[in-house]
Amino acid sequence: MDLKTLLSFEWGMMAPEFTILIVAVILSLIDLFGKDSIKKYIPSFAVAGIGLALIFLLFQYGHEEVSILYDTYIFDSFAFSFKFILLIGTLLIFFMVLSKQKDEEITDRGEYVYLLLSALLGTMMMASSGDLITLFVGLELLSLSSYIMVAMRKRNKRANEGAMKYIINGGIATAFTLFGMSYIYGISGTTKLVDISREMSSALGTTEPIATVGFIILFVGLAFKISSVPFHMWTPDVYEGAATPVSAFLSVVSKAAGFVIIIRLFVTIFNTGVEGNETLYSSMIGFVAILAILSMLIGNIIALRQRNMKRLIAYSSIGHAGYILIPIVSLSAMTLENVWFYLLAYSFMTIGAFMVIYILEQSEKSEDISIFTGLFQRSPVLAISMTIFLLSLAGIPGTAGFIGKFNIFVGAISADPAQYILVGVMAVATVISYLYYFNILIQMFIRQPEFEGRRTVNKMQAVPLIACITGTIVLGIFPFIALNFFS
Amino acid sequence: MSGEVIVFLLLSSTAILGGILMLNLKKVIHMLLAVVLTFLSLAGLYVMLSAEFVAAVQILIYSGAVTIVMIFGIMLTKHQAKEEKNKNPLRTTLVGLGIVVFFVTIYLAIRNLYFGQEATALHVNNTEQIGIKIFSYYVIPFELVSIVLLVALMGAVVLAKGEEGDEK
Repeated sequence: MDLKTLLSFEWGMMAPEFTILIVAVILSLIDLFGKDSIKKYIPSFAVAGIGLALIFLLFQYGHEEVSILYDTYIFDSFAFSFKFILLIGTLLIFFMVLSKQKDEEITDRGEYVYLLLSALLGTMMMASSGDLITLFVGLELLSLSSYIMVAMRKRNKRANEGAMKYIINGGIATAFTLFGMSYIYGISGTTKLVDISREMSSALGTTEPIATVGFIILFVGLAFKISSVPFHMWTPDVYEGAATPVSAFLSVVSKAAGFVIIIRLFVTIFNTGVEGNETLYSSMIGFVAILAILSMLIGNIIALRQRNMKRLIAYSSIGHAGYILIPIVSLSAMTLENVWFYLLAYSFMTIGAFMVIYILEQSEKSEDISIFTGLFQRSPVLAISMTIFLLSLAGIPGTAGFIGKFNIFVGAISADPAQYILVGVMAVATVISYLYYFNILIQMFIRQPEFEGRRTVNKMQAVPLIACITGTIVLGIFPFIALNFFS
Repeated sequence: MSGEVIVFLLLSSTAILGGILMLNLKKVIHMLLAVVLTFLSLAGLYVMLSAEFVAAVQILIYSGAVTIVMIFGIMLTKHQAKEEKNKNPLRTTLVGLGIVVFFVTIYLAIRNLYFGQEATALHVNNTEQIGIKIFSYYVIPFELVSIVLLVALMGAVVLAKGEEGDEK
């Protein structure tokens, strides 16, 4: 290939990725050589970089599909809308990072910032790639950056334990993913998703058992990223050990990326049957449904017994992963839209809840549920914002979480065949989740405060809180803004 | 039984043997040597598949570099060999059962596998072809891999360097 063909590709479409990459590299150089007076502003530069990438991305709205270098980079509406969530989520997390001016636990704030950026780059590449190799490299970029971010709280014993569990579990999950990919490559002879799906749509013949095994192993490996059963056990330990913004990142951006890669792989590769011929995906739906049911039940039931707030959110996030798997099981025209909306709503409410925990954790030096006792008397602002996030997580009307759950519910019932069992389990799991979400409300409004003094919210802390509250309520009352944006 | 099958059986059984030895040996250096045995037999398998370049890379990177790094890691950290006899018979049985089930599943899946015509031109300029593929088709993932390496390097520095308070 000569330079001319290389330049004929529309490289401008990669502007968001290039922005993130260049910002990350420049920030690491500033961190190496810059003066201390400049280093202070590294997180602010990162925010500016993400903002710029977001602007570049928004300019691509409605752009026709682009494929660069044999599908190793593709741009389509799917990539656009999910990259939007990834960027918004990371932006909110950076506001969280900015809200704390001095960080005793993580002394290397610079590293922390560009690791977040490189993880974001990995997730964005996963969102816009049509090739197994790029998808895998993006996944690994995300995983490696997250391992390091979790391990960076070196003095904290729990963080060390969490990081160790995370890297070992992650290594096993990567091995699973790669093994499954190798089977799929083996029977199709190509790494390009479009070609694989063409191979899969023709009669599989003797290779069908291998395709089934590859499907299961690949799904099990990718379940690690979305922290659903069977790879969910790392979640509570890692969330508890990692610094709170990192937990928020893992719970929102990393999980969204996991769903992105699952949808890309499974819906494109396995769901292309010839007319009248049952696709491999539809024959394997029972397997995914069982994982969804187990995730919903295990996550929500174990969350009942948690007293550490970050562990509680971790278990509830396992449950939410189960909810988001439902539209993937009940495939219809609405699937992508439902997953997208739920992930967007989930980012706002989860980052918001983590932000409240982050503020309280700094002032009370504790992560126990008792930090919420009598919060309404000590700080009405925090109590009311936490109430909004909890109501949304529980799925009460008027919040984004309700619309998300409702869409999933309707999607699963109207799918063909209707998934009544899944819908039933989802309803049960939601009711169980009320118990522990409302327990926090009781702590905030009824119990007497265990900690002295009023808590105020400073300006920097208010930014992410206001953004998350706005997102949760606006999406809850005017969901059509987001849904129109998607389509 | 053709010569090819014999070589394959030899190489794959030594690869498995290395893995089993690595799990059961007590001293770390012995474990390392067992891993090297696995890596070398895998390289032999790659040669059988006409992937000489991958075999050379396997020997250079895995048997050479990765092993050396592991030796450094062991020598530079405090290491106390502790023998822990923590054998849970129930768990061992369950794991064993899982392995057997997995083996049977995979065996049944691949038993009737038919791939059609065998490729004949695998050995023709294969290193050159890998180069062409990497630098024309897979430029984007290739560049992305360099960022993965950068991240790994930064991570190693961040995690290994002492904090400022430690030096005093």
